[in-house]
Amino acid sequence: MPYNRESGELDAEIGRVIAAWHKHGRGLSDAEFEDLALRIFAYQLRYDEPYARYCGSLGITVAAMPASWHEIPAVPTAAFKEATLATFDPARAALAFETSGTTSGLGGRHYMETRALYDASLLAGFDRFMLADGARLRYFNLVPNPADRPQSSLGYMMGRVCADRGDGNTGWYLRGDDLFVDAFVADARAAVEDGVPVCIAGTAFAFVQLCDELAERGATFAFAPGSRIMETGGFKGRSRIVSREELYAAMVARFGIREERIVAEYSMTELSSQWYRVDAPASPAPHGRLMAAPPWLRARVTGADGKTLPPGVVGALVHVDLANRSSCLAVQTEDLGAAVGDGIVLIGREHGAELRGCSLDAETLRAAR
Amino acid sequence: MTGALASVPVRAIVRGLADAAARWADADFPPRVRVLEAIVVRTGYPLPVVEYALDRLFEAITEPALTATIAGELGSLDALDGWTARAGRGDARALPVGQVCIVSSRTTIGVAIPAAVYALCAKCDVVVKDREDHLVAAFFASLAQEHAAFASAARAETWSGSHDARDLSGFAAVVAYGRDDTLAEIRAACAPEARFVGYGPRASIGYVARESLVDERGAGAIAEGAARDLVLYESEGCLSLHALFVERGGAIAPERFAGLLARALERAHVEFPPRERGAGASARLGGARALAAFRAASGTGAVYGDRDARHLIVLDPPASDPPLLLPRALNLHVVDRPGDASAYLERHAIAVEAVAASGKRDDVVKMAVDAGAARIAPFGALQSPQMEGNHGGRLRIADYIRWIAEDT
Repeated sequence: MPYNRESGELDAEIGRVIAAWHKHGRGLSDAEFEDLALRIFAYQLRYDEPYARYCGSLGITVAAMPASWHEIPAVPTAAFKEATLATFDPARAALAFETSGTTSGLGGRHYMETRALYDASLLAGFDRFMLADGARLRYFNLVPNPADRPQSSLGYMMGRVCADRGDGNTGWYLRGDDLFVDAFVADARAAVEDGVPVCIAGTAFAFVQLCDELAERGATFAFAPGSRIMETGGFKGRSRIVSREELYAAMVARFGIREERIVAEYSMTELSSQWYRVDAPASPAPHGRLMAAPPWLRARVTGADGKTLPPGVVGALVHVDLANRSSCLAVQTEDLGAAVGDGIVLIGREHGAELRGCSLDAETLRAAR
Repeated sequence: MTGALASVPVRAIVRGLADAAARWADADFPPRVRVLEAIVVRTGYPLPVVEYALDRLFEAITEPALTATIAGELGSLDALDGWTARAGRGDARALPVGQVCIVSSRTTIGVAIPAAVYALCAKCDVVVKDREDHLVAAFFASLAQEHAAFASAARAETWSGSHDARDLSGFAAVVAYGRDDTLAEIRAACAPEARFVGYGPRASIGYVARESLVDERGAGAIAEGAARDLVLYESEGCLSLHALFVERGGAIAPERFAGLLARALERAHVEFPPRERGAGASARLGGARALAAFRAASGTGAVYGDRDARHLIVLDPPASDPPLLLPRALNLHVVDRPGDASAYLERHAIAVEAVAASGKRDDVVKMAVDAGAARIAPFGALQSPQMEGNHGGRLRIADYIRWIAEDT
């Protein structure tokens, strides 16, 4: 199916929502979110066959629509590994990001029909939560370079940010599992000498690796005021796990960047928009991090039966991302969180329950394989 | 080493152990009643589950069971009391190996007790790292009432933190349960010549052969047993049912069997109410259920669950899916032959403790043997191992014995 008028109209409408918030700070009322979410969902039921079949099996069709966005069936993230979840022919995809193969070892793909919505969404969120002061920074990236790995959504995101918001001297220091510490150190020294504020963006694990290497070398930096850090992701599949407090302390010590300038970002390949931490890292919520998102991304918190839990109760996060127009707007995760006001308290992925003696657990099984 | 049991005849030891266990098998026995609530608090298992566990544990510790095991492994009980003649060989005597430590951290209910019982039968002094519920300590107190020597020979201690909070280097044998890395650490803390009895992570499976699926009644009985094997201890033990293989070609199709199992689970929830689940387990269950439903909508497999999400049966998931390893959740694989189950177990590197089987067909037994299983049991009995059984495929008393033989 070519990019049709219906798709174009929806994209334009979502684009207007994004622009209104980005430029004028205008949010979405509950009714507005509901209306747009249900119209996008109805559209997806018509054009996204695997999603429509799934919803049909749950008794939801175009003729039997849910009453609220809370009742829109969410596909589990693993479903992206099982089927092509797209409202269009993926051969025409403007973007295709690959998900990691966590449980089954198989990867999946998230296809986007156009770049426009994805770019607009990520830039609006980044501007609000990372660049509220309008700073133009030098970007040091501990994420895949999109030139090498175009299928990485995180790499694409930072590539887009650097192209539009950077100072033209972007550095990329991660290729596969290799971290180019020498190059980072050289670029970091130059930035310090030039007094240029920087943004260091990377996964938590990459930061651990970098801080370890810098500690071995006894290297520290005093980046210019206004410098900041975007930390994302976790330690999935990694052998060394450190607490976030320990990691942040190391980052403060190595980069001379104040802890309140460290912002945690949370998203996933299956989404087009991002959550950002909005409480102070120095005074963390006892059980998680307070995260906010642009108004076209909301979360509901669910129990094992899939029903929405009341605010404050911890459960699995289901994200409803209106910018996922061309794939599937409701995505079920196994990440834990609780609804708080307009945001969520993110707890993250819980490791296996307490082991009972010689019983087998998922972590052990993965290690054995 | 005090050797408190050195001069006690083994039959008196066995009798003392069995008598104490018999008292503990009585649900109204005051020490058992006192410890019950603490076990519920520690494990989170509902009362009926804890009662069931204590019944199975202590009912199994009988004089005939202990006597048969000892005689089977050592030739006779007399070898523990003195020199005994052996056919074609010189006389021999079974001496205690020395002091035994049992690290029973993070175990299901009373796992350390059978090991302690056999170490005591070997006349070893035993120290058990007890849990917060102090079940082992309470049982040992009952032992001391049976025979004063047990008071010195059997000690239960609690020590917080990891195993290294206790010096293990002085023990002649150390028994431990847990993950491979934990066992490796404990082993490293033992004396070089110490015997190490490690029970690492293992799972149990079920195999339903087509010839046992001849009618609804027979299939229903197997399903009832499988449901019990699944729900007990919230799938947390090495004897919990972690994967089920059902053959095609029976009069009752695997799809129908899955339905029978789902119905049996409804009843099992009544007998053994589910433990309150944590948010993490609920999230993973929700994800597994949604994925199975997504696949089913695409024409692959089926999913069975109830409105309250108390259980989850996933019919015919891809062989690439590992076991769910979640409370009351089970993948039911449809297979043509036991070799399919073997391939699955090999693919996922699953170490098998026990196999529940609907019959003793040769190829099913071979599959269990190839999988490294220590036990084949009927459905419904998977979680009720006998005292004579070989947990982890090991002998029960031999690890606590040091032989001395006389040349002919």
